Amino acid sequence: MVAVTHTPIDVERIFREIATPRSGGIDVFVGTVRNHSHGKRVRQLEYSAYVPMAEKLMAEIEQEIKRKWVIESVALVHRVGMLQIGDVAVVTAVSAHHRDAAFEACRYAIDRVKGVVPIWKKEYFEEGMAWVVGQHEVDVQT
Amino acid sequence: MISVNVKFFGPLREIVGEERKLELPDACTGDVAFEKLASSYHGLHKWKPSVRLAVNLEYVQFSHELHAGDEVSFIPPVSGG
Repeated sequence: MVAVTHTPIDVERIFREIATPRSGGIDVFVGTVRNHSHGKRVRQLEYSAYVPMAEKLMAEIEQEIKRKWVIESVALVHRVGMLQIGDVAVVTAVSAHHRDAAFEACRYAIDRVKGVVPIWKKEYFEEGMAWVVGQHEVDVQT
Repeated sequence: MISVNVKFFGPLREIVGEERKLELPDACTGDVAFEKLASSYHGLHKWKPSVRLAVNLEYVQFSHELHAGDEVSFIPPVSGG
């Protein structure tokens, strides 16, 4: 199950969707909006995506995970739009028979989502804003 | 000549806008398409080393040959999560 969504992410619902009777463990990573970045206070974050490509790549990551580990189910969900401090920005979740596969696959899932999926983050500070470009930020010319 | 749609996202959207239709010679590569855009939008030059090319929702090399009707995008470094 993969999705890019404008509406708040319901972590509980994702948990219920990937839980299966054959699962012995479910690993859920929840990425949230933090109030600081490189020493600056962040007021809010805006995420935007190339939605059809993002969902296609997320579906590919889901298949990669199913090939690499013996698991039951995967969920990859990323929110877009204007988010406030503490909001859930991304969830990766994996259910598996055993915890090792669940932990490893869930870690792989969030790393791959952050590494390749065409989604971009813009930080809004007390003064000014910046695009986050890969691991760096670039001030927006105003 | 062929015509392709180029979509822009993130920081590149603020330089170029959402979408541009580009007329290109036959058998033209992604590299040539980028250079043509960069000659109109000078702010694009500095992005050349860091953008990736996507054609029809897939990452491809800059040497990839474009075809009529392709959906092209130059993808700045991603920062989801």
